[in-house]
Amino acid sequence: MGNEEITELTELYERFKNKLEAVSGECYRTKTSKEAGKLVCEVLQGKGVRTVALLNSSLSQEGNFIEQLKGAGISVSTDRFREVTPDAQAGITLVSYAIAELGTLVQADADANVNQRLCSTLVPIHVALVTTNNLIPTLMETMATIHRLPQIPGFVGFITGPSRTSDIERVLTIGVHGPKQLVVIFVDEVVEGVA
Amino acid sequence: MADNQFKHKIGEALGNNVLRGALGRFGDAYSIAREKAYEGYNFNLIRENIAEVKSYAASHLDDMLNQFEKEASARGAKVYRATTGEDAKKYILELAKRLGVKRIVKSKSMATEEILLNKTLLAEGMDVQETDLGEWIVQLAGQHPSHMVMPAIHMTKEEVADTFTNHLNRLNEPEISELVKTARVELRKKFLEADMGISGANMAVAETGTLIMLTNEGNARLTSTLPPVHVYLVGIEKLVPKFEDATHILQALPRSATGQQITSYVSMVTGSTPVYLADGTIKDKEFHIILMDNGRRKMYSDDKFKKTFQCIRCASCLNVCPAFQLVGGHVYGHIYTGGIGTILTNFLNSEKDAQNPQNLCLQCGKCSEVCPGKLDIPEMILEMRNRMGEREGLPFTQKFALDIVSNRKLFHSLLRIASVAQRPFTKGQPVIRHLPMFLSGLTDKKSLPAVAEVPFRDMFKNIKQEVKNLKGTIAFYSGCLIDFVYPKIGEGVISALNEKGYKVVFPEGQTCCGAPATYMGDRKNARKCAIMNIEALEAEKVDYVVSACPTCTHALIDSFKDLLQDDPVLYVRAEDLSRKSRDFSKLLSDLGGLPFNGDGIPLSVTYHDSCHLKRKMGVYAEPRKLLTDITGVQLIEMKESDRCCGFAGSYSIKFPELSGPILERKLNNIEETGADVVAVDCPGCLMQISGGLDKRNPKIKVMHTAELLLEKRVNAQKK
Repeated sequence: MGNEEITELTELYERFKNKLEAVSGECYRTKTSKEAGKLVCEVLQGKGVRTVALLNSSLSQEGNFIEQLKGAGISVSTDRFREVTPDAQAGITLVSYAIAELGTLVQADADANVNQRLCSTLVPIHVALVTTNNLIPTLMETMATIHRLPQIPGFVGFITGPSRTSDIERVLTIGVHGPKQLVVIFVDEVVEGVA
Repeated sequence: MADNQFKHKIGEALGNNVLRGALGRFGDAYSIAREKAYEGYNFNLIRENIAEVKSYAASHLDDMLNQFEKEASARGAKVYRATTGEDAKKYILELAKRLGVKRIVKSKSMATEEILLNKTLLAEGMDVQETDLGEWIVQLAGQHPSHMVMPAIHMTKEEVADTFTNHLNRLNEPEISELVKTARVELRKKFLEADMGISGANMAVAETGTLIMLTNEGNARLTSTLPPVHVYLVGIEKLVPKFEDATHILQALPRSATGQQITSYVSMVTGSTPVYLADGTIKDKEFHIILMDNGRRKMYSDDKFKKTFQCIRCASCLNVCPAFQLVGGHVYGHIYTGGIGTILTNFLNSEKDAQNPQNLCLQCGKCSEVCPGKLDIPEMILEMRNRMGEREGLPFTQKFALDIVSNRKLFHSLLRIASVAQRPFTKGQPVIRHLPMFLSGLTDKKSLPAVAEVPFRDMFKNIKQEVKNLKGTIAFYSGCLIDFVYPKIGEGVISALNEKGYKVVFPEGQTCCGAPATYMGDRKNARKCAIMNIEALEAEKVDYVVSACPTCTHALIDSFKDLLQDDPVLYVRAEDLSRKSRDFSKLLSDLGGLPFNGDGIPLSVTYHDSCHLKRKMGVYAEPRKLLTDITGVQLIEMKESDRCCGFAGSYSIKFPELSGPILERKLNNIEETGADVVAVDCPGCLMQISGGLDKRNPKIKVMHTAELLLEKRVNAQKK
């Protein structure tokens, strides 16, 4: 990666972070997948989380997430998500892209993996991992990127901050049906198998 | 004309302080949030893009539907086309029965509200849960949504708590965060148990068969993740041609709807997706899409209403509507509320259902200004009003008044009689409380100024015009208010134009511009007025035609042409007149304004934009420049300077209960500036605002720009 690209990514990351924080999301950046695993443990411990649903990915495997989480005293489920996610205190998934313009995450698994949605929707805390390289500057470029995929994935989900409502007296309240907290962790390391 | 029952509903809504408080607070916050959300974005470009892709879809509707069906089917969706709401209900009911469905969760869908789907399903003993918080509240309370985006905006937290208490048989405190928590817990159970999900969509992409939903709460995500059966009910207007076309709507919808840059969630579903079945296995779900017409096609094939296809249901037209802000959604009577709702009701429910609510439109045009789909809602409502008027005729009193107005000699002689007959009422004061019914239209409830003793047409003969370096001739079209109530404005117009080197003529045959007839739905009389004026003004013989009433100017520029499209000879003359017509401040400004004028005495002035001048003609900078060019004048901008004053012609007579509070808000904004004078460019606004200030704060003067310019110049000359 050239210096210019690195500067550009940092600029995109900063834009994303500002936008996400404006809608009550948390944003971090780490160099390696192992550091990401460590950070996830710290963040979850800080929130008092004891049970987590982890949708494994090449990134979480490379970063030894399971071992690190267990080492931190957090019990990890990596399957039977339909049973597990209604009660899990947090869910960890790897998402496909991030849109800097809006502070938005994009889930666009080619197979429309239902577990990706369960682990990011039913849980009160969603920890989303994303490869820093997959930051896209604008909404328009994101739509073009999705359009260029071999086919539009069965489910494409944009996530911008935690779930919210203003349906009672127009008062903003965080956390209705979806997660009450959203933690986004950018990982600079490019792990084989991560789109 | 609004019937008594409708008037009663308005009265009830106005008496509901909760509703007025909530709507008022929201309206104020909305405009600020919307503006902020669009910061750094070119709203006009976005709406151009939306209009382009949506109008393309509208004019290739069958292609779009076929392509969508083909693409979605290829991805495992079963697509059904419902001609009517009944068809759609039957399809869903049969499907649910066939699959043995007992528990249904719904994520927000106005289309299911439109066809009262819940009623059908509940009657079959199925459990149907709305899951959007606002919709759920409204469902539990046994009501209908009062707003497309915020269904329960009319309810307080106390009312919500009571509703929950009744439903759950346990006490709920009116604490919003607790109420939201309760909803989360209660509805989460429903989501996990549900064997069918029903959703609406914000967009349907023809190219890829993709459905797109925007939500904040996450209910659409849960609905499209958990139940093994999923049905989408989609109005055919949701179609966009290409996948990337959706970008434009994604840019506008959250910003215009709630002032957000983007909603918390955007879900795009293409065909059937994997789901967990009860036995723990994962399979592709049973996936159905219903493309529903239910009156839409009729609306889109009507040239005058085709643009409704461009509506993206953001409800910004409601949020900026002065009438909606006062009465809320339930007064409109049906599912779709506000201005756009009135049009949708007309086609999707019945014309009869739209008859009352269409009266609520002030024709102020604020909604068109903010509409991301570029719909001219007031024009469409006017078209509805005219068609109703043509079909059913107007009530006798209105018809009688309009027949008189379109008979110039009779109208003018009655006005002359009025100036004498009103004397007992004026008690020597310049402002009276009553005016004969043919000018006021119908009632005596409104405070109005006196009819001038000498109308402008008589005064004109005695005005000495001194024109140095004659450049040309301008015909002055006074309009009724300047002619018979505010002749002084006419003097100002002539004096300013004389100074610019133009001689002003006053064609005697001119009469009412026809606006009262146009806005009451009487195209026949409006057309009569158009012809009389075209013939009288003889635009062919002058350089310009000037009017100092923007409503009249709008008639001269636009309405006459529209009314005479069927007459090739008169149409050519109407076009000529249109080309030469200018509103006073625009013309004076085009001619270079009046530099170095005024007496230099300090005067603080605030400016009120008339709806027609700003939004029909795009004129707002010109009068401000004319005013600030007067030495001594200091311009203080008021809040919401382009918000309607509530006059709106006969509106103030039809709905004094709405016109009153709208005026009050204007007066508050005026008083807040501390200005000595309110300058206006419309004699209608002048009448309305001075009528209000006369009672409340007579120290503040209301003057037409032409009047103020004249007064300051005369004073300067005296010095």
